[in-house]
Amino acid sequence: MEFAWTDDQIDYRRRVRQALDELLPGDWDEAYVPESYASDKQVDFSRHFCAALAERGLLTPHWPRDYGGADCPDWYHFILGEEMKAAGEPRGSQYMNVNWIGPTLLKYGTAEQKARHVAGIAGGTVIWCQGFSEPGAGTDLAALRTRAERDGDHYVVNGSKIWTIYARRADWCFLLVRTGPGRKDVSILLVPMDTPGISVTSFPGLIKDGHLNEVFFTDVRVPVANRLGEEGQAWAIVTHALAFERVGVPRYHTGLDALDRAVEQLRAEGRWDGDPIVRHRAGLLVARFEAARMLTYLVVDQRVRGEPPNSDANLSRIVALDAVGDMMNFLADYLPDCLAGGDRLLEDYYRINIPAGITGGTNEIQLDLVARGGLGLPRG
Amino acid sequence: MDFHLSEDQQALVDAVQAILRDHADLPQAERLSYAWHDPALQALLAENGFLDAARSMGPLEAALVAFETARSLRSIEAMGSGLVAPMALPDRVVEGPVALAAERDLGRAIRNLTVARTLLVDCGEDSIVLPVDPGAVEQVASILGYPYGRFARAPDPASGQRIAGGGALLRQWWRTGIATEIAGAARAAIDFTIDHVTQRKVFGRAVGSFQAVQHRLVQRHGHARSTYYLAMRAAWSGRAGDADIAACHALLGIQPLLFDLHQFNGGMGVTTEHSLHFWTYRIRALQAEAGGLAGAALDIADRRWPAVEGANG
Repeated sequence: MEFAWTDDQIDYRRRVRQALDELLPGDWDEAYVPESYASDKQVDFSRHFCAALAERGLLTPHWPRDYGGADCPDWYHFILGEEMKAAGEPRGSQYMNVNWIGPTLLKYGTAEQKARHVAGIAGGTVIWCQGFSEPGAGTDLAALRTRAERDGDHYVVNGSKIWTIYARRADWCFLLVRTGPGRKDVSILLVPMDTPGISVTSFPGLIKDGHLNEVFFTDVRVPVANRLGEEGQAWAIVTHALAFERVGVPRYHTGLDALDRAVEQLRAEGRWDGDPIVRHRAGLLVARFEAARMLTYLVVDQRVRGEPPNSDANLSRIVALDAVGDMMNFLADYLPDCLAGGDRLLEDYYRINIPAGITGGTNEIQLDLVARGGLGLPRG
Repeated sequence: MDFHLSEDQQALVDAVQAILRDHADLPQAERLSYAWHDPALQALLAENGFLDAARSMGPLEAALVAFETARSLRSIEAMGSGLVAPMALPDRVVEGPVALAAERDLGRAIRNLTVARTLLVDCGEDSIVLPVDPGAVEQVASILGYPYGRFARAPDPASGQRIAGGGALLRQWWRTGIATEIAGAARAAIDFTIDHVTQRKVFGRAVGSFQAVQHRLVQRHGHARSTYYLAMRAAWSGRAGDADIAACHALLGIQPLLFDLHQFNGGMGVTTEHSLHFWTYRIRALQAEAGGLAGAALDIADRRWPAVEGANG
């Protein structure tokens, strides 16, 4: 057991930071970060930015060399994630590509699918959206109703998806569809978003304008060759994909960055050095975020060793969410005007985390999974 | 970064666990006690070199020993003699067992004082090494899970060996030790509780099948598991900031941990025949040591955001 980064990892982090310094525009914090990741401004920038990262060999170092990577351990992927999130995530939607869409295609895709998709993801030029949740089927994905009926060498898709961030600008959708009557008769289709019959409607929310979308599918014809895996294999594939996603966002890193910024403000306003209560609260937050960091790193270490996903990924998310909730509360207690035009980056931190307990499977489901898978507690 | 034990570390843990397994049960006469320190087991661990792991292998290995001994029902003094003393006093060997106290607490009941041969005193800036004369210590009855003693007459700090500037290093390793022992005791108490709620039935169902119980147990498990890694990181790095963080995180989870575990053990959890208290009241005993939660949290804040000269407020 040891807790040090290798020299190569330190150098990789340095190169990522250098790339951020060189590639982010001077008004990044003020003009870009406050926009939704799904805004035209951020999406357009992400295509340019990710392509530049790819050119420097920084976007997918943990992927196989044959597919645009450098065969590095997953630690590199997490270093990249930490630095990108700390900078306001200039990869935009493409963080998903690198986190789980690409790795899932590499594991389950046909040779043709890999040839078609992986180069675009590794090159940083393609935008994906995730077509999982539906009105009436969020965490309980088995309740989804969007149907794909076989018609020769095509599926015909009808239904709708909701909360689909990036849908307005995505090139492709990683779409879950029902292909049979049973709860687990669910399959995955890789669907070009310009296919006739797809329409996208944005709706307002607490997160950011343009963030939330509903996607409607009306007689959308998708070639059978676009199915990922076998019919009915979606559960195995999604379980694999979400195991990556649960530790995909380094919430400890973004939380500590937000906390540093908050302290800077409190200090500037003369509300820090003489106030042991606020310093005490901030100290507790650091400890909470560091606890989340340890469990995230534990999961990465398990991945690097090739161990199958286990409930530690769920536990890591639970611990991180507790810290995030405390951080949001800290902001509301000490810098409430950050939600009223006081600081756009802190507002961004707060608003982006409003749904943190819901996305990727609700916190309650994570708790259930650890209770049974990690602690072996009996079913009710 | 490697979260798995090395072969040597695993061998060390296996060896400690083997000894502790042979001493897993309490003697009949001690089963209803609040705490039981086993001098024979303490001596056995010392004679076999497990309490010298800090010097022979390293502080992480010493923390692994302290973690394992904290899981035992028997109270073993491994934190002070095995981890804190060798790391806080790298140039001298003191006689164990070792008790730890803040200078202001010398007149109070002190954890492990009845079994200690040396007392390390945190005086803020400095530390003091005080030999303990067992004849000068009175046993104090306590529900806290360690033997407690009080000096019949508060010792004169001047009679000990003052380590100029040694206070910070003592607090650092004390905090690492606190986090380690809490992680170990919490792990054991949670495992014990999982057994209980799996077997005990209410309304025709196992207690542990209720979601209200499951979710809270998972949260306590998350606290214990993350505390373990924070404690090990602090032992590995030897950085004071890591020790502050480990102790702070360990301590901030105590209230819900103790409440929930006693709650889920029901009425049995308040009896001494049920064993839970051996771990939970050991955790409670550590709550106020080395500055407690507030001291650790403030040190974290002051380290991360040092005071700026001329700052307002």
